[in-house]
Amino acid sequence: MTIRSTSTCARAHAHARACALLVTLSLSLVSVVATAQQRPNFTGTWKYVSSTPPNYPGSNGWGVPSPTVVLTQTGNELTIESGQFGATPMKVVYKLDGTDTIWDGTSSSQSGSTAVVKWRTKASWDGNRLVLYTWNTALNQMRDIMSLSGGQLTIVRATEQPGPSTNATLTYTKGS
Amino acid sequence: MHRLRLSLFAFLLVVLGFELLPSAASMQQSRVDPAKGGVGDITGPYEVPDPKWPEWAHPYPKPGYIWGSQGGVFAESPNRIYLANRGELKLPERVPPNFPGNWGFFNQQAATQPIANMVNCIVVVDGNGKLIEAWNQWDKLFEWGRGPHQVYISPYDPERHVWVVDDMRHVVYKFTHDGKRLVQTLGVLDEFGDNDDLTRFRRPTMIDWLPDGTFFVADGYGNTRVVKFNKDGKPLLKWGTRGTGPGQFNTPHGIAVGGSPARVFVSDRGNRRIQVFDVNGNFLDEWPGIAPHSMMMSADEHVWAVDSISDRIVKFDLSGHAEYSFGQFGTRPGYTWAMHQISADQDGNLFIAEVFGGRTQKYRPRPGADPTQLVRGRSLMPMAGGTR
Repeated sequence: MTIRSTSTCARAHAHARACALLVTLSLSLVSVVATAQQRPNFTGTWKYVSSTPPNYPGSNGWGVPSPTVVLTQTGNELTIESGQFGATPMKVVYKLDGTDTIWDGTSSSQSGSTAVVKWRTKASWDGNRLVLYTWNTALNQMRDIMSLSGGQLTIVRATEQPGPSTNATLTYTKGS
Repeated sequence: MHRLRLSLFAFLLVVLGFELLPSAASMQQSRVDPAKGGVGDITGPYEVPDPKWPEWAHPYPKPGYIWGSQGGVFAESPNRIYLANRGELKLPERVPPNFPGNWGFFNQQAATQPIANMVNCIVVVDGNGKLIEAWNQWDKLFEWGRGPHQVYISPYDPERHVWVVDDMRHVVYKFTHDGKRLVQTLGVLDEFGDNDDLTRFRRPTMIDWLPDGTFFVADGYGNTRVVKFNKDGKPLLKWGTRGTGPGQFNTPHGIAVGGSPARVFVSDRGNRRIQVFDVNGNFLDEWPGIAPHSMMMSADEHVWAVDSISDRIVKFDLSGHAEYSFGQFGTRPGYTWAMHQISADQDGNLFIAEVFGGRTQKYRPRPGADPTQLVRGRSLMPMAGGTR
C-alpha cells in the first residue's frame, strides 16, 4: 500500500514537472518571439539634428557625426553608410547575431596619414537598443548604442583612440 | 632705417645661428655630469653601463625591424626581467650608421606610429638582456590593440602570476609564471564600459596590491575611477568621477599601494597631481604639481613617480614630501622620453621603459651611490616550489 502510494505520488510529481517544463518553455518561446517583434528596425535615411555636448568633435573624422546616415536593416544584418568612420563615407556591415565581420580597408591613423588596416565590427541587442562596436588596427574604436523613440534615432556614442576619449549623444530625424 | 637694422639683425641671426648655436644633441652631451645632483642630474645615482642593453633587441629582433614602444618592465630578479613590448616597428629603407636601435632616435613617438607588428609583445631577458623566453603564443592577444600597457608580479603572490594590462583592448590578463596558461581575464575583450560598469574597463592602465591579494586597478584613459578587486578578481567597489575636485580624476594612470595603514596613491595625470585614498576610496590628500605616467611603491615605503611633464623620477615620502629627483628628457643613453614603468631588482639595478623613446634602459648604481637615492624594489614572496 505504501509502495503503491509512493509510486503514484512519484508519477504525479513527474507529470507536474513535465507540465512545469512545458509551461516554462512555452513562456520562454513567447518571450523570445515578443522580444524579437519589439526590436526596432533602423532602416532609413537619417538627418543629423544635434549632439550633446554641442559641436561634438571626434578627431581626424573618427566618430564625427555624419550629416546623413543611411541605415539598412535586414533580419541578420545592419548596414551603415556614413562619414562617421573617417573623412570618406564608408559602407559598414554589422551582423546582428553577435559574430564578427572583418575586412581590410583604409583608415586615418593618429598622425592623419592613411593606411590599409584591418577593420572589425560586432553588434548585439540590449533589449530594444542595438549596441554596435567598430574597431580597426589604426587604433580607432567606436561604440554606438542606437535606439528609436518618437520618430527620432538616438545614438549614444563613445570613441577610443590613443588620444582623449569622447562621449556624446547624437540625435537624427528621418529625412530623404 | 630701423626696419632695415632689424632685418639685417634677423638675417645675421639666421645665417650665423645655425653655425654658432650648439645642436640639441651636443647640448645634451655637454650637460652629462654624472656626479652632480639637482636639476641637471641626468641619471642620478645610476650609470648606464651598456646603451645596447638588452642584447635581445640589438641590433634588431629581426632584420629590418626594431622593438617598438616599451609599455612596461618588471624585474622579478637580476636575471629575470619581463619586457612589455608594444610590437615591433619596420625600419625605413636607410638608417644612419649611428642609429642606436630605438624609434625615438627619429624624433617620432614610438607609441602609435607607425602601426606596429604585434610580435614579441612579452619577452623575458636575463641581466645581460639575453632572451630567455618569448611569449609569442600570446602575441595574438594584442593584435587589435597597441600592445601590452604594463607588466607586473604581485609582491605577495607565492605563485608569481604575471599580470599584463592591455589598455586598448580594455582587459587585464593574469598568466602563470611561465606564461603557459592564461589564468584569468578581467574585463570584456574589446568592449568598453562606463564608470558605473563593474564588468568592463575603459582603457585600464595600472595595478597594485595589498598583502592579502586585494588589488586596485586604475581605469584609466577612458574612465575616471579606481576599481578594487578581491584576490580572486571579484570587483568589490569603485570610486571616482570625472572632474578636478577631491576624488575626481582626469586620466588616473598610475597607482601604488602601501603604508600603514595602507593607502592608495593614484596618479591623476590629467589633473597634474597625485591623490591619496584609504583602501575604501575615501579621499585623504592630494599632492599637486606632478603628472606621473607611472608610480611604484619601494621597499623602503616611498612612492617613486615618473613625471610625464619633466621626464624626472621623483621620490616622495608617504606624506607627499619630494625628497629627491633625477632625470631629463632626451634620446641619448641615460636620458628618457616618456618613462612608462620603472622596476628595480634586488641588486639595485633600475629598469626604465619608455613609450615614446621606444626602449627599455638598464641603470646600474654608481660605486658609492647614496643608498637613499636608489629605487629599491619590493621583495617578492618566495616562489612556491622554488624559483625557476
